[in-house]
Amino acid sequence: MTLKSLFLATTLCAGTALSAESYGPFPVTLQDYAGDKTNTVSYSGQIARHVLENSLKKLAANGDGGANAAELEAQMLSYFDGSDADLPIIAPVSKDGFAIKQTTVNEISSGKNISGKFYEGAMPAWPGNMTGKQVAYHMIKKAAAANKGFDAETGYDYAQLISKFTMGAMAYNQAVDNYLDEKLEADNKPNNAPYSDGAAYTGKEHSWDEGFGYWGAPAHALELSANDIYNVSKQKSGDVADANADGVIDLKSEMVFGPAYYAASFDRSGDATTYAQNIMSAYLEGRKLIVSAGGEALSAEQRATLKGYAATIESNWELVLAEASFKYAGSVYSDIDKLKAAEGEEAKAEAYRNYGKHWSELKGFAMALQSGKNNLGATAVELNNLIGFGPVTLDNSYVTGVDADGNFLKDKRMTWNDYQLNMLKVQKLLSDSFGIKALNNNQLADLEGLAEKLGAASNAETD
Amino acid sequence: MDYLDSLVSIFSDFVNPRKRVFLGYLALSILIAFVWLLIARRNSMGQALGRIFDRKIFFSGSSKADYKVFVINQIIAMIISPMLLTQIAIATALFFALHEQGFISKGVFEDTNAGLVVALFSAAIFIVDDFTKYLLHRWMHRWPSLWAIHKVHHSATTLTPVTVYRVHPLEGVLFGLRSAIAQGAVLSIFVFLFGDTVDLYTVVGVNVLVFVFHVTGSNLRHSHIGIRYWPWLEHILISPAQHQLHHSIARRHYDKNFGVALAVWDWLFGSLGLSEEDESLEFGLEPGEKGYETGLKGLYLGPLQEIARIAKRRVSAPLKR
Repeated sequence: MTLKSLFLATTLCAGTALSAESYGPFPVTLQDYAGDKTNTVSYSGQIARHVLENSLKKLAANGDGGANAAELEAQMLSYFDGSDADLPIIAPVSKDGFAIKQTTVNEISSGKNISGKFYEGAMPAWPGNMTGKQVAYHMIKKAAAANKGFDAETGYDYAQLISKFTMGAMAYNQAVDNYLDEKLEADNKPNNAPYSDGAAYTGKEHSWDEGFGYWGAPAHALELSANDIYNVSKQKSGDVADANADGVIDLKSEMVFGPAYYAASFDRSGDATTYAQNIMSAYLEGRKLIVSAGGEALSAEQRATLKGYAATIESNWELVLAEASFKYAGSVYSDIDKLKAAEGEEAKAEAYRNYGKHWSELKGFAMALQSGKNNLGATAVELNNLIGFGPVTLDNSYVTGVDADGNFLKDKRMTWNDYQLNMLKVQKLLSDSFGIKALNNNQLADLEGLAEKLGAASNAETD
Repeated sequence: MDYLDSLVSIFSDFVNPRKRVFLGYLALSILIAFVWLLIARRNSMGQALGRIFDRKIFFSGSSKADYKVFVINQIIAMIISPMLLTQIAIATALFFALHEQGFISKGVFEDTNAGLVVALFSAAIFIVDDFTKYLLHRWMHRWPSLWAIHKVHHSATTLTPVTVYRVHPLEGVLFGLRSAIAQGAVLSIFVFLFGDTVDLYTVVGVNVLVFVFHVTGSNLRHSHIGIRYWPWLEHILISPAQHQLHHSIARRHYDKNFGVALAVWDWLFGSLGLSEEDESLEFGLEPGEKGYETGLKGLYLGPLQEIARIAKRRVSAPLKR
């Protein structure tokens, strides 16, 4: 048994054995703390940002084709950039059997925005030579002018593009490139000092909690199966979500948001992966390690262990984003089959709408994947070339760039077959480069299954 | 544990319904032979059993060599099979390539009735497999270098169901490659044209047509039980007697009946030989051929030496225009 697998096995066993354990409450360890707080867990700012993202996604689908563009863009920007006013939560909201405690963003945390925590590196997956944040503003502007968030001309579904991209450019990026990265260094947010003046939590405690908040799992996630996590996210099982049984779902600690939802969605699709459990266990173990330091600065050894947990979180999270891109590349492939087979204007329009939705999820996740700590280099270039700036549209043209005013240019055409081949190559690239295992919507699964059925060719009978 | 596992896997073909020597198929072959000897040959029960379980055949030097080759080849196959090209590698490459063709669209026949697609696919796999086996087998007899390899199989002077394994490992590699290409091609074309409705009709995990071939006595092809079919049927299906004729040493039987299940290929390409009333065939190689009937060294190294000789002759021969 290798050291790595031993480590993994230990982590997993720990995860199972501690399945009743919750992320918090955790005691005050700060040595000269004089306040009256008894619990140091705090990540409400991250939850507020998840809620801003969910609400922004809903707003992105509210356009009427141009008439309300200015008004809608301003509204979307108030969620993206934050607002002095207390913004109503547009999603998630209460529904039958799933009552939500908070109805405004400030009830979770005030003064929060998405833009301040958005990836500002180059984003070559989108035309126009922009940073990640500039791309988000570009998308918001276009979304406000679109019809219910969909632009048939380009095939863009902005609600999906914005939401999936943000899952990477905000949550994934902040967690893996900030809180689980430089904030784990000895001189950055040390454990023998409060995170900020007067705080009950130490620098390391709160950094770790913030990283946890972006992951989007409820505190009691280890008590839940992958199916449970999926259902909570879909607001189907209120009783499972309501950990403290007070009759309402507290978004701050009982709800599932994007990253955790996708991790669980792959785990529940088969036995190949345990992404959600791996990430959740690593967060919990890391937090317990910090508590065990008792308010002292972490030793080099403790920080090395903590970085090991961070590495587990980062690698599993990256795999989840690669799995999601893989899954939607498969959807796009089969959507094209359906589009070809669709008869009549209505059926064709519906098939095209689904295709645009799935393509935008693919694109959003592919961009999310490129918003992390690692520079994916040639893999990213190849991925972006295969997916293109836009999907092949009904007249076989596709977006090839933007003009000086930010308008999309479509000066090339591609056949459906060629684009389907690109999707197969996207799946192959992702599977080869990242070694993902769940492989949802694998378009080679039919071939592989039939080959299996035919049996190995070796040792074939001759005569 | 490893040792035991390997030992078990060497003989696993006998319990694998995908293999011709599966015990169930062997039992059915015995039954068919028994009934045929009783009815068509008017043997007594004792005579029939004596013919079927003939010690002189099962314990001949040739047959004992078959058994040794069986074990050695199984071990060699375990080592080299992971290195061989698989049908999924070929199917994937072809599937990708088909997308680049302008004249045909992915999923163009996706609306075809599912039952029909499954029937077509099961038949196509069987027919293409059978035809490519015919073709390669024919080449094995025609090209000197390939014949040097294939002679190992024909050096058997007694035939038992295990004789199907009496082949040089290189022949196993060639047939494996053939299977990968044939099945990979059919697989990719079908999935490209018909999408996810493509499936295989199977019985006990094997293509229903292959199953029919095996339960109707495929093992008797390599035996001394010369079951004949009606002449018209021997134009369509190869009877055990026809394959035994293929192994015959007699000059008039040379290059006849290369087919495995279907006789139509031989019929089409002029190599069909109908079975004959006289069933006392002599099996093996012509006396002039370098024989490697029983020696393992000869069976494994003989072909390589012969190929080397052929190559040397080619290289040293003056170039002829």
